Amino acid sequence: MEFGPILRAMTRNKTGAILIALQIAFTMTIMINAIHIIEERNDAMARPSGLDEANLFYLTSTGFADDFNEQQQIEEDLRQIRALSGVVNAVQINAIPLSGGGWSMGLSTEPGADADGTGVAVYFVDEHGIDTFGVEQVAGENFDITDVGWRERTDTEWPDKTILTVAMATEMFPDDPMSAVGKTVYINDTEPMTVIGLIKTLQAPWNGWSGVERSMLVPQKMLFGSARYLIRTEPGARDTLMPQVEEMLAASNRGRIIRSMRSLEETRERSYRGDRSMTLMLKIVVGILTAVTALGIVGLASFAVNRRTRQIGTRRALGASKGDIMRYFLVENFMITTMGVVLGAIMTVIFNIMLVDSLSLPPLNVWYIPAAVLVMWAVGFLAVSGPARRASNVPPAVATRTA
Amino acid sequence: MLSMQQIAKVYRTDTVETHALRELTLTVDEGDFVAVTGPSGSGKTTFLNIAGLLETFSSGTYMLDGRDVSNLNDSARSKLRNEKIGFIFQSFNLIPDLNIFDNVDVPLRYRGFKSAERKARIEKYLDVVGLSGRMKHLPSQLSGGQQQRVAIARALAGEPRFLLADEPTGNLDSAMARSVMGLLKEINEEGTTIVMVTHDPTLANEAKTNIHLKDGVVSETASISQLGNGKQNAA
Ligand SMILES: Nc1ncnc2c1ncn2[C@@H]1O[C@H](COP(=O)(O)OP(=O)(O)OP(=O)(O)O)[C@@H](O)[C@H]1O
Ligand SMILES: [Mg+2]
Repeated sequence: MEFGPILRAMTRNKTGAILIALQIAFTMTIMINAIHIIEERNDAMARPSGLDEANLFYLTSTGFADDFNEQQQIEEDLRQIRALSGVVNAVQINAIPLSGGGWSMGLSTEPGADADGTGVAVYFVDEHGIDTFGVEQVAGENFDITDVGWRERTDTEWPDKTILTVAMATEMFPDDPMSAVGKTVYINDTEPMTVIGLIKTLQAPWNGWSGVERSMLVPQKMLFGSARYLIRTEPGARDTLMPQVEEMLAASNRGRIIRSMRSLEETRERSYRGDRSMTLMLKIVVGILTAVTALGIVGLASFAVNRRTRQIGTRRALGASKGDIMRYFLVENFMITTMGVVLGAIMTVIFNIMLVDSLSLPPLNVWYIPAAVLVMWAVGFLAVSGPARRASNVPPAVATRTA
Repeated sequence: MLSMQQIAKVYRTDTVETHALRELTLTVDEGDFVAVTGPSGSGKTTFLNIAGLLETFSSGTYMLDGRDVSNLNDSARSKLRNEKIGFIFQSFNLIPDLNIFDNVDVPLRYRGFKSAERKARIEKYLDVVGLSGRMKHLPSQLSGGQQQRVAIARALAGEPRFLLADEPTGNLDSAMARSVMGLLKEINEEGTTIVMVTHDPTLANEAKTNIHLKDGVVSETASISQLGNGKQNAA
């Protein structure tokens, strides 16, 4: 193949070729890094919360009547909800995973204010918590009904038992996380709590937190003025139960309001709405950039074909077949694209290092680069094939018919 | 060697039909040097394009080197052009982005020659046209006469049986025209058959045979050598 003459001819008209090569490099850089971000977001969105999300919903009950007895009502509500057919279990809880709002505390393995605490999300639940979440208990045991006490809004004391997620145990006891069961951890600097069990996965309420898998369960029901109930249903029963539970609770005591009812699926949807629109936007940007680059290649190649009509006719007269002419433009474009992707690979790496530094993104999977090279070659090939075909159809008689 | 029987060429557009050639019948013998003259629009370029397989024709038979080439497909025609026919154009048609060496190389690459063979031929034929010192020059750095010599070297490098030239001196001043004509005559002496379209009667007279076209048919043929005196115009 005539690489030499094609390259030499190109260096005499380099501006267009260089611009297209730069555009290819730029597109490739943006493409790879955008896909990297999209993948990273998709991975984050795909992390399990640990919950039986499809069958969970929650609502809030707030008493306002003067004679409203909160403690009695909570006991009554939970009993009624748990007795409903189609309900698997229910629990009073302070915060909902993925919802964005909750409590956090620090736990340490040694008592004292100077011990480094490990941040953890706190969920107050009773002995029905684990079953209501649908999380898997991997070690130790669940709370007993006798473990569960009441917590007032002003309380600062902590009960003496807790259950941790494996991720939290791993953070605190990296050498042997399973050995956490039976160990004492300290909350509020000095208050001891015994770890009585470990659960596999339970996300904290904040999906953007790097410690999102670090959670603890605390055996308390709350007298906070408003009570939130998390309810798990049989598969398929959630949508009928939601209005049913709402009505039942509202009817059982007119001295309170029921509000903020929402399924966990909706909570997840809201939680990642921003991420989803960002990834969509990135996809659009990549799509537009790729289309613009392809159009640039079409434009440059069309211009080259028009400018070289007589030359093409002359080559045909001198014995070039249609295939030879076609090949000329394909090879020329391949060389431009290749310059672009080589530059693009270098720019991609530099840009990714910057992203890793500034946005603390994980570094790029190196296989993205050869994959993008193949994509850019394919885009170049498709874009140039129209003009190249047109070039191959220039009649040889053009050689003698054009002045 | 080249024999056309009742060749007709009609150009059709939406509104008009142009009969560029009407039942043209002629023969060119091996080793001949034919000058084709005729008024503008008489079909000279059309004839040359058909002879050189650049265009197809509407009816008739064309035998090239003893072979009927009327119904060849595009790639077979390309191959024949490359191997048997050399072209010289009025406006040289050198490729402006390639230097002289690469220009002469163009048909040789399509021929599939190895690099050593190509290099030897390029050097040989640039030497024949007296331009071996200009191999790295671009066409724009040469005079018109020199450019046409490069084009001749390019046409010769494939060592074709035929050289077809459409007004090869049309863009040159008379001195340059003379030297190009001299070169063509030398080439013809070496055995290459030449068909040349020209407007210049003096140059036509230097050819061995003159064909005069009018309205797409041959109006007169004269073999100048048969007349005994190359200076006499047969027309
Ligand atoms: N592609 C075409 N489409 C339509 N008509 C054409 C085409 N090419 C040539 N013709 C017509 O065919 C006729 C012969 O043209 P041709 O170019 O062969 O003449 P010519 O003898 O070479 O003239 P000149 O001396 O001006 O070069 C002219 O009438 C011309 O207008
Ligand atoms: Mg003409």
